[in-house]
Amino acid sequence: MFRYNLELALRGLRGFPKSTVLVVLTVALGLSACMTTLALLHVLSADPLPGRSEHLYLAWVDTVLAKPFNYQSLNGVTQANYRRIKLADAQALLAAHRAVRQAVVADMAADEISADGKHAQRSQLILATSADFVPMFGVALRYGRNWTAAEDAAHAPVVLIDTELAQKLFGTVNAVGRRVRLRNTLFQVVGVIAPYAPQPHFYGLDSGVFSSDGGENLYLPYTAALDAGLSPRRADGCDASYKTASRLGLSDPTHCASLGFWVQLDTPQQVAAYRSYLTHYVEQQKALSGFGKPATSQLFSVAQWLKLQHVVPDSVRLNVGLAGAFLLLCMLNVAGLLAARFLHRSGETGIRRALGAPRRAVFQQYLLEAAAVSMLGGVLALPLTLLGLWILRRQGSDFSGLARLDPLMFGGLFAMALLVGVLVGLLPAWRASAVEPALQVKSA
Amino acid sequence: MSIRILFSTLRRHSMMPALVLLQVAVACAILCNVLFLVWQQLQPMLAPSGVAGNQLILVDQLASPQRAFTTAEVRGGEVALHEVPGVRAATAAFGLPMVGSNLMDIALQGPNGVKVGVNGYLGAGLIDVLGLQLVAGRDFLPSEYRDFGIGGTHEKWSAGGPQPIIITQTLAKRLFANGRVLGQLLTDPSDKNDLGYQVVGVVRHLLRNQLGLATNGRADDTVLLARRIASTSTLSYAVRVDPALRKAAIRGVRKVIQQHFGALLPTGITARVSSYSSRREAAFKSQRAALGLFAGITLAVVVVTAIGIMGLTGFWVQKRTRQIGIRRALGARRADILRYFLAENALIVSIGVAIGMALALLGNALLMHYYELSRLPWSWLPVGAVVMLLLGQLAVLGPALRAAAVPPVVATRSV
Repeated sequence: MFRYNLELALRGLRGFPKSTVLVVLTVALGLSACMTTLALLHVLSADPLPGRSEHLYLAWVDTVLAKPFNYQSLNGVTQANYRRIKLADAQALLAAHRAVRQAVVADMAADEISADGKHAQRSQLILATSADFVPMFGVALRYGRNWTAAEDAAHAPVVLIDTELAQKLFGTVNAVGRRVRLRNTLFQVVGVIAPYAPQPHFYGLDSGVFSSDGGENLYLPYTAALDAGLSPRRADGCDASYKTASRLGLSDPTHCASLGFWVQLDTPQQVAAYRSYLTHYVEQQKALSGFGKPATSQLFSVAQWLKLQHVVPDSVRLNVGLAGAFLLLCMLNVAGLLAARFLHRSGETGIRRALGAPRRAVFQQYLLEAAAVSMLGGVLALPLTLLGLWILRRQGSDFSGLARLDPLMFGGLFAMALLVGVLVGLLPAWRASAVEPALQVKSA
Repeated sequence: MSIRILFSTLRRHSMMPALVLLQVAVACAILCNVLFLVWQQLQPMLAPSGVAGNQLILVDQLASPQRAFTTAEVRGGEVALHEVPGVRAATAAFGLPMVGSNLMDIALQGPNGVKVGVNGYLGAGLIDVLGLQLVAGRDFLPSEYRDFGIGGTHEKWSAGGPQPIIITQTLAKRLFANGRVLGQLLTDPSDKNDLGYQVVGVVRHLLRNQLGLATNGRADDTVLLARRIASTSTLSYAVRVDPALRKAAIRGVRKVIQQHFGALLPTGITARVSSYSSRREAAFKSQRAALGLFAGITLAVVVVTAIGIMGLTGFWVQKRTRQIGIRRALGARRADILRYFLAENALIVSIGVAIGMALALLGNALLMHYYELSRLPWSWLPVGAVVMLLLGQLAVLGPALRAAAVPPVVATRSV
């Protein structure tokens, strides 16, 4: 029976070619608009490090010796707060070693010059961090080794570079043992990593949330970086004494909160223990009293952090909403067109019914026809979605370059097409199957 | 023909009109909101800037966080810029039109209690350099200027009376409600100890540099302050040039900036020198992209709705061919049949639009929740309604003409 109904449904498609084309086009338009916007939202709200991010936490203690900054702007100007900490706190938290792993994280900018001075990469984003970063964030080491905690403590001038930078500076991917100059210091390459750029760039949101052209291509111990005169570019706040004595806009981590501190905690018990450790730590900071600040410490999971920092742009969600409303419109449209063509065949339906076909069979036939039309629309929506994503990629905002259709969304497209087909087919198919056989046979 | 006939037909065959009605409602809700979004994006683009755009070259991204530029370096840059052939005036500035990198965020409160968040442009002789049109009062006197710098020399305005301020016409109307403006005082609502501001002049227009806020009559919420840029860690220049020599002047300015500041800028920072028009182009890039998207949505909604109405009405006309034939045979003219279908469509669309407007407000409430969007004003709803009514009448014209062409003889067939 199903096969026969399917055959009838397909015959129905061929019977009204003009209306079939119209319906398929409308479904394709609605589906592709929806899928294009959903694919972008899906890429932007994806887990940056699947399997790892649920164990990573950003630890923050507010030890900036200044009155809390509570400026109220009538222009909606807000100051970004990336929850960074000062050098002394970062060192204390590192030394305490209360988490499974912990890493200091700070983005800096520098020119990278090969030791012979022949090859240079100007104004590159580099990552000043500590030894645990590579195992903690799952960076793949291709050659050589990672630096050690002892080298962190010894301010050793060592770096890890990625294969692309190795190729550019030294003409070979295995650049272990070569040297690279940052400012006036020569650093020894101890290891080469695969290019690493999780999206969003959750551990360094201040230097761009999304990037289509990779992340930091050079990692070095934060201690050696500070020795070389490199400095984070911005801070979340500086000690009051420092600010008045000197200048705004500075980021020296000795006086300013400019280092991110990430920890790995594998179990809920560890998370709770670390949270109470942080609370305890900040309560001990006697110097803080007198600035009118409550002792504040926070621990954010990656998901909480991305939500707090509003990583997915509102406009992306807005577009999903608009596209969803448009798909609804397309579905109503298609439901109408399908109803028209089903009722047009009332005579045929009447004969089928008169010959003994149950109402259910007729209903199934029309529902199958609706689903078939919708699946055709889904097939056509695929190139349209790819076109839409291509247009998005050419928009040139920092995230648009990432707009891609992954297998999950590809499957989602067809699931949605089928769902749309069944939904839009329900009413017309019910209406058409309710036809009284006798009446139709008589008038036909 | 009475409207009762219309209703009774609609009631008896309710699915087709119901589907048209729902389509119209959803389309109307989308259109109201999208057209409103379009208007929000268009406003900053259409707002008059007030500056002599074709004579303006802007320099920014001069930043030195480690060591602030000295006052002598800032002045030296000004002097060197003056000597570039084609340059008429140049000044160091903080906050410039179409430059989003330096924002001056100021809160003002008028004597009537109205609070306004404005953007400030700072620099000596900006009226002359930007080519602003002074409509009342005067420019700042040379003696009134005090030093300003970010992370350098910053002279607090703590003595010698309120700061002189030049505001725009729109601000004058809002803050002083058409009363006297010159010599009046404005206060800073966030700082009770501040000496406040005294209005010395009014300019016709001056577009703010927080372009996202340049909507709903806030485009001209900009002020000038009597500040001369001194030692600072972040610096920009406004340069007014002879429009005939603009190309050569840009090259000259670029060279001067490189000579003066090239060695002072830390690695990773390069100064940006470009004409006002290219800045404008770049500043509105996101607005243009959004407009393209919204235009696409509008077009798609209009086409899909038109197809839907045409398809459904066409089928419905076909279904009622006999009925039309009978009416024609009983004496109805072609015009009557045409009018009947147009009226029927108008009735359905009107009900759809009424539901659509409610949906539009609901959608707007959602947008306001998830997206920083202002409330959809009531006056916007008729815009979507009129569009939908026109669209409905246009879409139904084809099927209605076909109906009107049905000959009376049809009534006698297949009975």
